[in-house]
Amino acid sequence: MDVGQYLDIFLDETKEHLQTLNTQLLALEQDSENEDTINEIFRAAHTVKGMAGTMGYKRMQNLTHDMENVFSEVRNGSIKVNASMIDVLFQCLDALEEYLANIQESADEGTNDNEPLVKALNDILNSKGGEAAAAPEAKAEAPAEAPAEAASEETAGGNDKWKSITLTPEEAKNLEEQKAQGRNIFGITVSVQENCLLKAARAFLVFKAIEENGEVITSTPSSQEIEDEKFELDFSVIISSDVALEKVIEEIKNVSEIADAVGGPYEAVVASEDDEAPAETPKEEKTAVATTTTEVAKKAEPAKQAPAKAPEKKAADKKPQVNRTVRVDIEKLDVLMNLVSELIIAKNSLVSSATASASQNNSFNEQIEYLESVTTNLHESVMKVRMVPIESVVNKFPRMIRDLSKKLNKPMELYMSGEETELDRTVVDEIGDPLMHLLRNSADHGLESAEVRAERGKPEVGSIFLDAYQEGNNVIIEVRDDGNGIDTEAVRKKAVERGVMSEEQAAALTEDEVVGLLFNAGFSTAKVVSDVSGRGVGLDVVKSKIEALSGEVSVKTKLGEGSTFTVRLPLTLAIIQALMVVVGGEKYAISLGNIETIEDILPSDIKTVQSKEVINLRGTVIPLVRLDEVLDIESKRNPEDSMVVVIVKKGDKLAGLVVDELIGQQEIVIKSLGKYITKCKIISGATILGDGEVALIIDTNTLF
Amino acid sequence: MANELTIAGEVIVEPEIVQYIVIKIGDEQYGIDIKYIDNIVRMQNITRVPKIAKYLKGVINLRGEVVAVMSLRLKMGLKDDEITKDSRIIIIKIGHDSIGIMVDSVKEVVNIDVNTVEKVGFENRDDSTFVQGIGKQENGALISLLDLNAVLSE
Repeated sequence: MDVGQYLDIFLDETKEHLQTLNTQLLALEQDSENEDTINEIFRAAHTVKGMAGTMGYKRMQNLTHDMENVFSEVRNGSIKVNASMIDVLFQCLDALEEYLANIQESADEGTNDNEPLVKALNDILNSKGGEAAAAPEAKAEAPAEAPAEAASEETAGGNDKWKSITLTPEEAKNLEEQKAQGRNIFGITVSVQENCLLKAARAFLVFKAIEENGEVITSTPSSQEIEDEKFELDFSVIISSDVALEKVIEEIKNVSEIADAVGGPYEAVVASEDDEAPAETPKEEKTAVATTTTEVAKKAEPAKQAPAKAPEKKAADKKPQVNRTVRVDIEKLDVLMNLVSELIIAKNSLVSSATASASQNNSFNEQIEYLESVTTNLHESVMKVRMVPIESVVNKFPRMIRDLSKKLNKPMELYMSGEETELDRTVVDEIGDPLMHLLRNSADHGLESAEVRAERGKPEVGSIFLDAYQEGNNVIIEVRDDGNGIDTEAVRKKAVERGVMSEEQAAALTEDEVVGLLFNAGFSTAKVVSDVSGRGVGLDVVKSKIEALSGEVSVKTKLGEGSTFTVRLPLTLAIIQALMVVVGGEKYAISLGNIETIEDILPSDIKTVQSKEVINLRGTVIPLVRLDEVLDIESKRNPEDSMVVVIVKKGDKLAGLVVDELIGQQEIVIKSLGKYITKCKIISGATILGDGEVALIIDTNTLF
Repeated sequence: MANELTIAGEVIVEPEIVQYIVIKIGDEQYGIDIKYIDNIVRMQNITRVPKIAKYLKGVINLRGEVVAVMSLRLKMGLKDDEITKDSRIIIIKIGHDSIGIMVDSVKEVVNIDVNTVEKVGFENRDDSTFVQGIGKQENGALISLLDLNAVLSE
């Protein structure tokens, strides 16, 4: 077996642990006395160290080891948490992420030893005075004892399958030889967690951990069976080792998803009975080893007992929460999604041919309706499988805001809600950057400095909110701050300065239009260009990225009180409900999500305001868009007749699209027009109709 | 060793055969490298897309995928296509992107030795920007080999 095949698991898990570390460190910064937090940090660091070690990433292991030492001191209460220490620890996390990025790219951790960080960590350790200088080493070992102690307790409970292992004569001979060389012989029973997905992989890592400290003499089931995953939840090994049992067990427990490992000195039981001599000698040995280990354990016990036990308990509490999940390659889901799309197209064509032949056969129609409901349910299920919470993206923001706060020297706090809101995986992967831009924008441009805030009677600490929630077929993500808001006068001035427009034009713009200017390329109002934002590449990138995801972004702002950026994203990208319309003999689809109502309007009801056609719909003045003109085609409708107007919305704005006729509502599969047709902004994609024809999808957002 | 070669005074070039599909635009014959050709389909309904370049005719449904179609005639500045029973759409696939090219007709597949392709002597033709060389067929007939990069660039 090769470690390479576990690289993906290693990367995934290490990322999760680093995220935990980030989150918990932030919590620690707020509440430096919280024991749970410290324990959580310690455990995560410990696991990362173990995993890195097993995978052979020595630099990563060394760095985490030193971090762990610091955490261990914090846990003992011999070092107090302070700001500079948290800073160093955060830098360490960054360094670890860098290692991880290197590993992801080349399976190699790189050559950066991060010596300054290691030194900084050691300085922290040494800072607590000469008297304790030697302590770190001794104390760092303490946590190892606690699990061992817990383990021996459980041994009494009965998890000692290793005791019943019998050896073949050859194995017994091997064991004798090992013993003759002065090595300790242990039996260990390792149990994996019930929800463990890759038992063989875990077992492999356990074997690897053991082999670093000794040699496996035999195992039950056999190593081949373990490799083939032919075991339930535990397996037992007999090993020979130069080091203490506790150390081996500690190493084993470092492997993730290992529920427990218990062991003790092994007394050989050989299959054939006439071999008494080898069975006799280990007995004496055993008692000797046993006393030494218990002595070691006892020594460390009194001081360490309370804090060390806490994490053990917590881990046990946590186990049942884990969902039963399967990791699936997103590409496989894409294939599944494509097949569902094909199925829906086939279903649509069946429906349309049934309608065309005006089939009076009731049972046939019933079957078609049944097929429709099945395909719809299938589609929804596949969609749900692809949905992931946005948590994975927004989790990194608190840390980012913390760093920004230091860098910009403005006190600020990020409040998040709705992290559990789910979106299509492909959208979640893309949404991180735009949200990050918006948050930076709020931190840099939105929030005022503490002095200004104090002057204005606001709390000195600025607040940034990130709220996510679902609304119909959309997910809304709001980034809000209680800062200065957008100074529309400054924006107008800037627009004139930049030569974007004349002074008169600028003065004629509505407030909303002025705010819209911020989304133009190369427009930044930051007075000082910083490396946080203000390079003028922020908001226009946000806008184009979100629009590429078929979403939209809008702003509400009040000078002196703050701004709210609202990002609206569709739940799904692949299949939508659409209204099919006809314009000039051509069929077009309009996403139902954008449609407000459909109205019949008499030509005489059309008014003209500023040479633009509008209608007055129940008191609301709505601009009219003649789709035939926009689409460069001639309408076949009699201009005297009443018109069908589809009222569409974008944010809180409305527009009325004049179409020739309505066909009806239909589930459509969105297909891209490909890279050769890029200039047509009005058309967001195409779909294939039941009869095999292609119909274009109108992006109504471009018509405002 | 090098000396020996000089003494021989003759370099033997291995023939390097590339297959081209011969298409017709008016009376002119053009060759398209077969490795870029995904499919050749009969003329079908093309859905017009507004606000795009004139030489792009629209999109078709190719086995469930939406593929853009361009007119080679319009791209070369000739008069618009006349759809006949011989008209075909050649589906070109470069990487993951497909595009259809409308042609008057498809004639045959020929083998052309790359080493005999003339790279000079056609610069004064109208369509020279789209031709990368002149290939000689075994029977002596000449074929203008299309430079697909130029044809597909905007």
